[in-house]
Amino acid sequence: MSSDVKILDGNTFVVSDDRGDIEASLTDPTGLFSFDTRYLSKWVLTVDGQRLNPLSVDDLQYFETRFFLVPGTGTVYIDAKLSVIRQRAVGGGFHEELTILNHDEKAVDLEVRMEAGCDFADLFEVKDDLKKKGEYYAHVEDGRLVLGYRRDTYVRETWISATAACTLDEHGLTFSVHVEPNHEWTTDLHVTLGRGVGGQSFAQPKYERHSKKALPYMERSLEKWLDEAPRLTCDWDPLNRTYQRSLVDLAALRFSPVSLPGHYLPAAGLPWFMTMFGRDSIFTSLQALPFTPELAKTTLLALGLWQGSRSDDFRDEDPGRMLHELRFGEMTAFEERPHSPYYGSVDATPLYVVLLDEYERWTGDTKLVRNLEQTARRALAWIDDYADLQGNGYIAYKRRNEQSGLENQCWKDSWDSISYRDGRLPGFPRATCELQGYAYDAKMRGARLARKVWHDPAYAERLEKEAADLKRRFNRDFWVADGQYYAIALEADGSKVDALASNNGHLLWSGIVDKAKAKAVARHLMSPAMYSGWGVRTLSTDEARYNPIGYHVGTVWPFDSSIVAWGLRRYGFKEEAARIAAGILDAAEFFDGRLPEAFGGYPRELTKYPVQYPTACSPQAWSTGAPLLLLRTMLGLEPIDEHLIVDPALPQGIGRLELLDIPGRWGRVDAFGRGRVDVEKQARRQRQLGVIEDGGKAAKTRKK
Amino acid sequence: MAEPTRDFFAKLAEQHQPLPAGLTGLMRFDLADGERTEHWYLAIRKGDITVSHNGPEPDCTVGTELATFEAIVTGKMNAMAAVLRGAVEIEGRFALMTAVQRFFAAPADLAPDEPAAGYARRLS
Repeated sequence: MSSDVKILDGNTFVVSDDRGDIEASLTDPTGLFSFDTRYLSKWVLTVDGQRLNPLSVDDLQYFETRFFLVPGTGTVYIDAKLSVIRQRAVGGGFHEELTILNHDEKAVDLEVRMEAGCDFADLFEVKDDLKKKGEYYAHVEDGRLVLGYRRDTYVRETWISATAACTLDEHGLTFSVHVEPNHEWTTDLHVTLGRGVGGQSFAQPKYERHSKKALPYMERSLEKWLDEAPRLTCDWDPLNRTYQRSLVDLAALRFSPVSLPGHYLPAAGLPWFMTMFGRDSIFTSLQALPFTPELAKTTLLALGLWQGSRSDDFRDEDPGRMLHELRFGEMTAFEERPHSPYYGSVDATPLYVVLLDEYERWTGDTKLVRNLEQTARRALAWIDDYADLQGNGYIAYKRRNEQSGLENQCWKDSWDSISYRDGRLPGFPRATCELQGYAYDAKMRGARLARKVWHDPAYAERLEKEAADLKRRFNRDFWVADGQYYAIALEADGSKVDALASNNGHLLWSGIVDKAKAKAVARHLMSPAMYSGWGVRTLSTDEARYNPIGYHVGTVWPFDSSIVAWGLRRYGFKEEAARIAAGILDAAEFFDGRLPEAFGGYPRELTKYPVQYPTACSPQAWSTGAPLLLLRTMLGLEPIDEHLIVDPALPQGIGRLELLDIPGRWGRVDAFGRGRVDVEKQARRQRQLGVIEDGGKAAKTRKK
Repeated sequence: MAEPTRDFFAKLAEQHQPLPAGLTGLMRFDLADGERTEHWYLAIRKGDITVSHNGPEPDCTVGTELATFEAIVTGKMNAMAAVLRGAVEIEGRFALMTAVQRFFAAPADLAPDEPAAGYARRLS
């Protein structure tokens, strides 16, 4: 049986086979998961001792699915006089409406059995095949089946109950069912997290218990979410679909942190990365700012609450540092893993200040900026006080937790991502180039906030002076003169790690690039060695470690390309930015609007379609955010003072692009872009966006 | 015997603590020591903390053994891990606990190795 039916709500999700059954082994990633712990590993339905056969599966919403089944196994149906419908909705555990229809002309008596069990595995155990150290228990009390696991004070319980009369035992529920001819029998099954983190259940059931249907109130929340987002119309139809897909996927990726119930930030990816990640949550919030600014607000608040306060080697924590990843499972609870939270990210801290400033530019929410003043100041102080591991004034990383810490603490976190042209790997600490750009941008933006909101011009001046000094040194120390680009990193001895990589595009975005050098950098990014036709490769084809399907050494990451496009726009390369948008959006169409984490770096002429990099994580938040950021770069949206500036440069295949009701400090405004294509003639033809020749022509904003 | 706990709360009350400034709420720590339970109230108002032994119904209660709390404030145990383990129970607004956990000491038994060149540079 295929086992790939997933529904989810925040960090609670169910993975089952296409019958709706769950039969997980310790290493098998199926079951009901919540807070990084499996709460159900067995959930098998039988009718008169027989397993059921799937007719169809309807994925109704990302949180709801319906299984149509008949008794019997194999291809020949033993008894097609019965059909069984399981409609399941996730939300603080899950709810299943089980219905049996009798199509026969005579009544039937059936024994319906739901076998239930749980191993309470930590997600990390599922990944790494580790053995449990505590003990299990099961009992029936107050009309429900309680499945439990205990290790010292660590207790997790799953509670299972049904609305119809049944017999409960330690291994499941049995119903004696009588169904009249052409009648149906139904029961609701409730699976809840009886005891969770901190001795209580965090996630209360979210269903309307008395409603006839298994509908969590999430459906309305999704409608509201879609309602509040700007409306897009475009004569190139795939973009409308990609946009819609991105909004729905972003809704699914929303995650309400324990510290801020009812508020949502983007988790990193579905289903295994449904937790707060500093870097991923910040980047996705940046991409989505023109569409859903509240994601940025929650991200800033939640990360601010968890800001590092001490030097803790196990967690790679420093005062002022922003977290990398927060986890809730058993191994974290017993400090066998450092994720409580783990701070081993070196870019999240400067990017935090970047997001805070960008958020204020869009929303005008100076209150939040005032409330987070000390947080932002400590983040800026961290850059100088704790991140200068080479002692040369650059941000660098080297883990202090040698056992379970992360070796590479930048976004390209695989072992071979940072290399010399000839393939050699540098030592640690490593100062990768984009980190210096983020630090520069953080200081510049921090200075703006200091002047505008914190009323501390002396601090602003100091930050600007430091930023200017950093920019001057950076352009001297990282520039590969004979190649005309920035080295990917600097070693502690000052050696330039001289591979050409997409990090150069992040540098454009940060503003650290000298104007005189920008043209050469843009030319590299758009060269055949870097631009595949779909997007910008993580590593140039000229480098020794280049591999079109190497994780960070040749694949194209939609997220990465969207930042590169933003960077190109910052330095005035509108058409180049539009070419990148064209490639990524063309690629999105091949994935039904859902961009994967990465795809192969093969030249577009060679494969004709983007080759997906195999990954367990889909949708992934910052890939979902990429089309949103590309809409921004195509329309040239830029908040300046109280206004939204629109300066479109559209790919050739788009004649008309309208984004209506863009929220911000201006209330709601519309943005229009016109391309050079004759819309009337081409309207009926399916086009690929292909190559850009020129920018857009017209734009206007309208205040509502 | 409860010196680390007393010291911790005394220090909190003495200085203006760098909390996210918008944060306001009342916390109560219920620290069980055999038969008796100590109650500590933290009133958090825009980043300022006042400490007392009584107060109205709190927004967040933290319940644990006094010995566990001592281990946490002295850096022998990580607070969040203890919460996940069920050694510390939180009721109410978790944000307040998240904000206050920053004042617990760094791990006591893990003296940093030789720090890298520019680590903690500006610190005396």
